[in-house]
Amino acid sequence: MSGHDSKYFSTTKKGEIPELKEELNSQYKDKRKDAVKKVIAAMTVGKDVSSLFTDVVNCMQTENLELKKLVYLYLINYAKSQPDLAILAVNTFVKDSQDPNPLIRALAVRTMGCIRVDKITEYLCDPLQRCLKDDDPYVRKTAAICVAKLYDINAELVEDRGFLESLKDLISDNNPMVVANAVAALAEIQENSTRPIFEITSHTLSKLLTALNECTEWGQVFILDALSRYKAADAREAENIVERVTPRLQHANCAVVLSAVKMILQQMELITSTDVVRNLCKKMAPPLVTLLSAEPEIQYVALRNINLIVQRRPTILAHEIKVFFCKYNDPIYVKMEKLEIMIKLASDRNIDQVLLEFKEYATEVDVDFVRKAVRAIGRCAIKLERAAERCISVLLELIKIKVNYVVQEAIIVIKDIFRRYPNTYESIIATLCESLDTLDEPEAKASMIWIIGEYAERIDNADELLESFLESFPEEPPQVQLQLLTATVKLFLKKPTEGPQQMIQVVLNNATVETDNPDLRDRAYIYWRLLSTDPEAAKDVVLAEKPVISDDSNQLDPSLLDELLANIATLSSVYHKPPDTFVTRVKPATQRTEDDEYPDGNETGYAESPANAADGGASPPTSSSSVPYGAARQPAPAPAAPAPVAPVPDLLGDLIGLDNNAIVPADQHATSSGPPLPILLPASTGQGLQISAQLARQDGQIFYSLQFENNSQITLDGFMIQFNKNSFGLAAAGSLQVPPLAPGASRRTLLPMVLFQNMSAGPPSSLLQVAVKNNQQPVWYFNDKILLHVFFTDDGRMERTSFLETWRSLPDSNEVLKEFPGIMVSSAEATLDRLAATNMFFIAKRKHANQDVFYFSAKIPRGIPFLIELTTVIGNPGVKCAIKTPNPEMAPLFFEAIETLLKA
Amino acid sequence: MISQFFVLSQRGDNIVFRDYRGEVAKGSAEIFFRKVKFWKEDGQEEAPPVFNVDGVNYFHVKVVGLLFVATTRVNVSPSLVLELLQRIARVIKDYLGVLSEDSLRKNFVLVYELLDEVIDFGYVQTTSTEVLKSYVFNEPIVVDAARLQPLGPAAIFMQGSKRMPGTAVTKSVVANEPGGRKREEIFVDIIEKISVTFSSSGYILTSEIDGTIQMKSYLTGNPEIRLALNEDLSIGRGGGSVYDYRSSSGAGPVILDDCNFHESVRLDSFDMDRTLALVPPDGEFPVMNYRMTQEFKPPFHINCLIEEAGHLKAEVILKVRAEFPSNITANTVVVQMPLPKYTTRASFELEPGAVGQRTDFKEANKKLEWGLKKIVGGSEHTLRAKLTFSQESHANITKEAGPVSMTFTIPMYNASRLQVKYLQIAKKSSSYNPYRWVRYVTQANSYVARI
Repeated sequence: MSGHDSKYFSTTKKGEIPELKEELNSQYKDKRKDAVKKVIAAMTVGKDVSSLFTDVVNCMQTENLELKKLVYLYLINYAKSQPDLAILAVNTFVKDSQDPNPLIRALAVRTMGCIRVDKITEYLCDPLQRCLKDDDPYVRKTAAICVAKLYDINAELVEDRGFLESLKDLISDNNPMVVANAVAALAEIQENSTRPIFEITSHTLSKLLTALNECTEWGQVFILDALSRYKAADAREAENIVERVTPRLQHANCAVVLSAVKMILQQMELITSTDVVRNLCKKMAPPLVTLLSAEPEIQYVALRNINLIVQRRPTILAHEIKVFFCKYNDPIYVKMEKLEIMIKLASDRNIDQVLLEFKEYATEVDVDFVRKAVRAIGRCAIKLERAAERCISVLLELIKIKVNYVVQEAIIVIKDIFRRYPNTYESIIATLCESLDTLDEPEAKASMIWIIGEYAERIDNADELLESFLESFPEEPPQVQLQLLTATVKLFLKKPTEGPQQMIQVVLNNATVETDNPDLRDRAYIYWRLLSTDPEAAKDVVLAEKPVISDDSNQLDPSLLDELLANIATLSSVYHKPPDTFVTRVKPATQRTEDDEYPDGNETGYAESPANAADGGASPPTSSSSVPYGAARQPAPAPAAPAPVAPVPDLLGDLIGLDNNAIVPADQHATSSGPPLPILLPASTGQGLQISAQLARQDGQIFYSLQFENNSQITLDGFMIQFNKNSFGLAAAGSLQVPPLAPGASRRTLLPMVLFQNMSAGPPSSLLQVAVKNNQQPVWYFNDKILLHVFFTDDGRMERTSFLETWRSLPDSNEVLKEFPGIMVSSAEATLDRLAATNMFFIAKRKHANQDVFYFSAKIPRGIPFLIELTTVIGNPGVKCAIKTPNPEMAPLFFEAIETLLKA
Repeated sequence: MISQFFVLSQRGDNIVFRDYRGEVAKGSAEIFFRKVKFWKEDGQEEAPPVFNVDGVNYFHVKVVGLLFVATTRVNVSPSLVLELLQRIARVIKDYLGVLSEDSLRKNFVLVYELLDEVIDFGYVQTTSTEVLKSYVFNEPIVVDAARLQPLGPAAIFMQGSKRMPGTAVTKSVVANEPGGRKREEIFVDIIEKISVTFSSSGYILTSEIDGTIQMKSYLTGNPEIRLALNEDLSIGRGGGSVYDYRSSSGAGPVILDDCNFHESVRLDSFDMDRTLALVPPDGEFPVMNYRMTQEFKPPFHINCLIEEAGHLKAEVILKVRAEFPSNITANTVVVQMPLPKYTTRASFELEPGAVGQRTDFKEANKKLEWGLKKIVGGSEHTLRAKLTFSQESHANITKEAGPVSMTFTIPMYNASRLQVKYLQIAKKSSSYNPYRWVRYVTQANSYVARI
């Protein structure tokens, strides 16, 4: 033990460990107990007491539960660092799991499940099996959670030993605690499994709804959360569910209330009767408001959720705006959320009250809160046309107080108000100009300058005002410089007199010669060219009428809102982000990788410890135990469970020379033929409906190849599809042919597509937005990527001569180049074949030093050709691709396609 | 499910640390503390109770100055975790009598034993002190409450929370009295936190009562208890607005907006005679939470006047009038008022013969503070403050000062008029007559007068 000795001598007080060791081996019970307590104390403050392992484990065999628990706590902490010694405890664990005292039985399985050491896990199975069928509910509920623990360590073992079935049996247990834990365990296992394990049928539903009434508050949350995945078959079933969940709204536990709200909101989507819906909304309002009487931390969670709820169902809290008024002593994070909701609930009816509040908040001390309050006034002005004037007069009052940051914030929102109501409130500009010299924040300055430029013709001294900013032009932040540039141009166009003319020269000079900022320089050059070639055109461009902006207080995208609403009462609804953006569940590190501070067995001195342990008088084996004592010294038996099966390489793919990226698990072809399509709508998002799709070209025609998989509980029918405007105007050429899908069924279909139907403006983009609906579910939106090679037509072959001619005729600016350092061409022929199959035609090949250079041609509809040059060293990573085309803006899309093709 | 649970002191020391799933690295407590401490660079803004750092979600609540924290990697129910953290604090308080850094450190073995029963593999098992008693064997080492230092800055955390109230009971639920036998007694506290906002002209803009009927039972054998509330109590405001102003005069029915009950409460006869029946579990718990926005008579009337008094000078006159009967006394009253930023000096003048009052001008945040140890019902108190400014006021001094806020505690008074008419304990024998304490207390939550 010398290696460890030196370690703790350097870190802990001298003599402490030997002293403890002595006490742990005392013949007096009380002294041993005290010693273990001291060890635990040392452990919790971070001292390393692992060297006392054998001595502590020796205290494990005791009838004294208090002492036993302490030893177990120690074991959980150190077993991982001492796996060989941990096996010493197995005997006692197994014996304890058959103890007449149910507390000891439960304690044994609970602790064994927490020790993530393979050797212990092996011996867990038998006790666990017994405990799942124990007479005592305390033991059963502990065993239920233990199954989840075991699944986390070794999923295969759980499935092989039939623990999942035992767990499912526990759903019908007569003890609600057991039911709740079984539900929690199954839900976690399902979360980490791709197979359907825990499916909620209408039968389990009714069982769980009954258990709900008898459960502890925490069990109620587990059950409600598990049930929220259930999709009712029709409105009537939904109403029944809601009726049984509604009493939960009266619970004192906020978690129960929110989980019940989630469940009700979800079922409400199916309920068609407006009376029922209205009634439910009425019932939900008071409990939601009551959440705001809880601790501020809970209030915060409630407010973030309410924010989502009112976006979907504004009527629920339409009359409750007063409860969102900020209290003087609310923490700032609560105040900020309340403001957000006040804006959302503000209406013509309550705006006077709301403005009074905002005005008050704007004079408080907390700067961030004050700013947000000022902005809130502006947002209300933009949202409520009839109240705009009142909002502006409040803003003007605030400006008059002359608190610097209030003024600046007010100017920023007033700029937005001007954009929302052009030519309405310009009379206040004079007041704004009074505060000109106090502005020191870039956004406020930029806003003020924008206002001056936009209304230069109405401000008599606009030129003087702008001039005052010009002096510091080089020192201003880019945001302000850009506004100054534009405002000066506007001024000049509106008042082409001598003053502005001089100013514009100064500005253009500053913005072109004196600056390093490319954005500023480019904009300045554009103005310069415009002004020098055609001032009238410049007017049309610069002084063009701007689109009116709208209210942004319901800023969430509908599909995101849908997803977040499905996640009410989870972290997702607090962050307002879909779960997959922040859940990064890592599998717990396997043995030893985590506790790297503990040396492996091969380090000096460490190997002695097992011997020491044995000599130190570990408990002798008992006859009832199935564990051979010698196991500690012998090499461990090979683990019973096979290692997780590695994905089987696709042999076919291998034969035709694909690289390793192409290896797919073989079982993906289970349901239908054809290569697997990428999953675009996972079942978890689609309430059980999974959609995979990809664009494909077959026989010169473009198809959308789709696969639908119904993993939900209900039959889905009436499928329809719609494509959003896209760069190629892709649209469905026929209707979607999908028959009703029974639960568990899947269907693959080819949807013929046409081009140039609904083109979107702007630079070409590969984004394809798809919406799919059916009669049972909400509309699903997902994004796909258009891969250009699908469009390559079969008439894209060019003769060598015309290739050369075209190449020369196109200007060099039409040549775009991209390198793919990670791609390797291992066989020229295979690559050429593959490219030819997608209508990318080989023209010629030449050697350049050690590199091979290939030339290809391709064409997309409307006759746009691509001339391609690929340079690579066969068998070495790195491909250079140069293309020439009359439409170079297509180049990024082309490169995406070629990358996919070369990687395939 | 939860990965880790820990308790940190105000300085960030680890007092308790339990890892349930081994999926979050050990340094999480330090990462958390640094993040909370420096949420905004200026240290002004408080961190929200839930946030994510590098894929780990951190939850925390503050209880008597201690940080109760949980971490997780998955998309759990945040209200469950936050509620759980509060409950863990409560269970520990039930067991230890006093919740403090000292008592936690002295009882760490017991605390770990509790934590193992409360959470298994990150899943809450139970937070009922009653249930836990049959699984937990360590005896608490009771820390003498009398020796406890006043909580200092930690005490402000008592303000915001409703459920860790000013109950004077600091006795462990499980520990025996030094004398041996436990005293048979039960405490029922009706705690109301009131929020009122007065407009500058003295009208009530908003008013709200958040109430709790809190129970802490030391009765052996868990006898059944019946609590009778006002017979004319009604729940839900449905169309009652016509009656609102009539009831504000102090008569008429008590109308609650909403209420909820502890799971042990049976409401069989509640609709009939407004009686709650329950077998109280051990430990402290809320029998009923309620919320009321029906108008009520505010206990204090605040009057504030600011006048310019010459060049760079102004005078503030603050008047507080107690609008409750003279047999009731409010205590620990503090009146605060932010003054204009350019205030350099404030000199105070109390009414002649004033006792137990203190005044202060907090230079750092330009705040006037007026403390009154006691205010007897029906009395009125005045404070005059002469202010000196460093610059001319821009517009109107009243726009740059205020609002006036007030904190207070009024024992044996409740604004809602909700009452426990009687507290009946099922009798075991004719001689069984435990002590019953029914106490009322009203505290200010956000009591603000705009000027």
